[in-house]
Amino acid sequence: MSRFPIFCLVIFFLNISLQAKSEVIKITYWPSSNPQEIELAANIVDKWNKIHPDIQVVMQPLPSGQSSEEVLLTAVAAKTTPDVCSNIWPGIVEEFAEANAIIALNKFNDFYDIVNPRIPEDVLMNFASNDGHYYQMPWKGNPIMMEYNVRLFREAGIVEPPSTYKKFMEAADKLTRDTDGDGLVDQWAGVINVNPVWWHRFFDFYAMYIAASGGRTLFKEGEVDFDNEYAVGVFRFLQKGFKKGYFPKGMLQGNQFLLENIAIQFAGPWDIGFLKIHAPPDFEYDYAPLPVPEGTEEPILTYSDPKNIVIFSTTKHPEEAWEFVKFLISKENDLKLLEFTSQIPFRKDLDTDPVYEEYFKENPMVLKFAKQIPYTRGSDNITQLKEVFDVIAQSFEYSVIYGMQEPKIAIEEAAETCRRILRR
Amino acid sequence: MKRLNGYDVDRVGYLMVLPYIVFFLLFNAYPIIFSFILVFHKWNIISPMKFLGLENFRFLLQDPLFWKSIRNTLVFLVIHIPLQLIVALVIANILNQKIAARGFFRASFFLPVVISGVVITILWQQFYSYETGLFNTILMKIGLDKIPWLISTKLAMPSIAVMATWKNVGLYIVLFLAGLQSIPSSLYEAADVDGATGVQKFFHITIPMLNPTIIMVLIISTLGGFSLFIEPYVMTGGGPINSTLSCVLYIYKQAFYFNHMGYAATLGFAVAFIIMIVVIIQRKLFETEVYE
Repeated sequence: MSRFPIFCLVIFFLNISLQAKSEVIKITYWPSSNPQEIELAANIVDKWNKIHPDIQVVMQPLPSGQSSEEVLLTAVAAKTTPDVCSNIWPGIVEEFAEANAIIALNKFNDFYDIVNPRIPEDVLMNFASNDGHYYQMPWKGNPIMMEYNVRLFREAGIVEPPSTYKKFMEAADKLTRDTDGDGLVDQWAGVINVNPVWWHRFFDFYAMYIAASGGRTLFKEGEVDFDNEYAVGVFRFLQKGFKKGYFPKGMLQGNQFLLENIAIQFAGPWDIGFLKIHAPPDFEYDYAPLPVPEGTEEPILTYSDPKNIVIFSTTKHPEEAWEFVKFLISKENDLKLLEFTSQIPFRKDLDTDPVYEEYFKENPMVLKFAKQIPYTRGSDNITQLKEVFDVIAQSFEYSVIYGMQEPKIAIEEAAETCRRILRR
Repeated sequence: MKRLNGYDVDRVGYLMVLPYIVFFLLFNAYPIIFSFILVFHKWNIISPMKFLGLENFRFLLQDPLFWKSIRNTLVFLVIHIPLQLIVALVIANILNQKIAARGFFRASFFLPVVISGVVITILWQQFYSYETGLFNTILMKIGLDKIPWLISTKLAMPSIAVMATWKNVGLYIVLFLAGLQSIPSSLYEAADVDGATGVQKFFHITIPMLNPTIIMVLIISTLGGFSLFIEPYVMTGGGPINSTLSCVLYIYKQAFYFNHMGYAATLGFAVAFIIMIVVIIQRKLFETEVYE
């Protein structure tokens, strides 16, 4: 009988303790599944969890699949989405927004207080959805630039990286060679992926189209807008490269840039990390803006290859998830993003802010990309974007790689097909 | 009610088939019915379905890529099936003789069948590579020009058909071997007495007696040919210029690249209908020869 009050007390305290434990909010966060980004996410989450004992973030790398988009689509269909995901390709955002799968971030009171000082205005506008809302937080970009082998350039007598189509062709003529004298070309000026898969065209045709047109995207006010001189010019330029044999027509095995069989490729800052690990110490390389038609005004723009952050509408804790998103894009975490991944945060004055000064002093290659980031464009926010790029990929293959169609006709036909897709 | 050793025979029977019935309902009947419903809808997995009526069929009839994919698949079948039949028959005949290391050769020919299709495709992609592939390296060593195996619209599908034959021929060799071993030796002995040559025996005894096996091989390889996917998906992505875009690859692209589930289901039913027609024609053509 005398033990009963003690038993009640134990139950009471146990209950309180369990209640306290259940008040801890859990946020699930999916970063990209590449090793560098997992390491970055683990570091950021660890710090967040230490300062927010009441909001604990559980980090789980994006489950592997054919592509992040397929995995996310399946998760949306099965309603197994995380609270926050930071590996969102903007091309899929419109589809998610139409399905009410993601939250409009500009509905949070401090959205503009956060984004306006951080993100260049025209970069931000690029990520607005058709209904005027912002469903994605612009996070990082990988501006596509021209990567070139300094030694091969020097040996070919090329003093500076070619800035125009004409100069590129002159350089390509010197760089494409039969080095062992067996009568066969074994060193090419550049490489273009010949696989007709839609997303490859972001890194050649689309990046070059943005550069040539001074920042145009494929659509204007929801209408197809790429049947113009700039798109035709890019097709013609690359077609000439294939016809002259400056780009190999087949798939070459292995990293031909690293093997020094290719002098130029279009790449993002991710290659810096790769080359740091795999290139021999005497491997000399550098970056320059993409080549453009003669007379194009500076600065030269490019495709940003962005990856952004969203909050899924399955979240039970939108406010807390929003707080975590703000933490993810803080100044100090943007520095970590640079340090861990060499990828560039969408941040104004990245190259002049003292927080990043030391990092860029030690990593001058990455600074070139940081300087490029204000001069980038993403992709259009339309649900049929993959189909549009598939059409372009088919035309590209037919006209550019195999030279079987005049570029102007190829572009006009591709644009007309895209209009039909949009009308469907 | 029938009873055996105290058990209700009907109930036990139903219990025995229950696992298969459940499996069939879940993994066959449900997907087929659901796909049929999809045929009349627009659906991208994450948004609600929208009823379209017969719009998907109308689009299919006007879709040049669908017809191109059918044509490509037929080109593949026209090259692949005869090649496979002839090669399998010839090798099976050789392996049916008393030759040295017969067991080793039988196992060797069957090996590609059990190796992953993706592995074999990647291997052959390297063989076919225009700039650095094994075949072109050999051609150049003997002073010939390089051949654009996978980058020519005319050669890409035949190249894939040759690779697919190499991969699958082992299975058909085994089937033909089984057929050859079931031919009574008395027929050959009688032919010997009549003074028949080897060629005469092959065409007048072996081939007619193998007809049921040939029909089976024809139907299996036709069905296999219509489901051509891994090879063009890995090797060419459907290119160059859609010349290796097979029906299944096109269905896959519509479903999983573009999330057009309704249209992909329509394509699936259309392809199933075409396969049915082709198989009926094959059976009509060849079965008469067997039983007449």
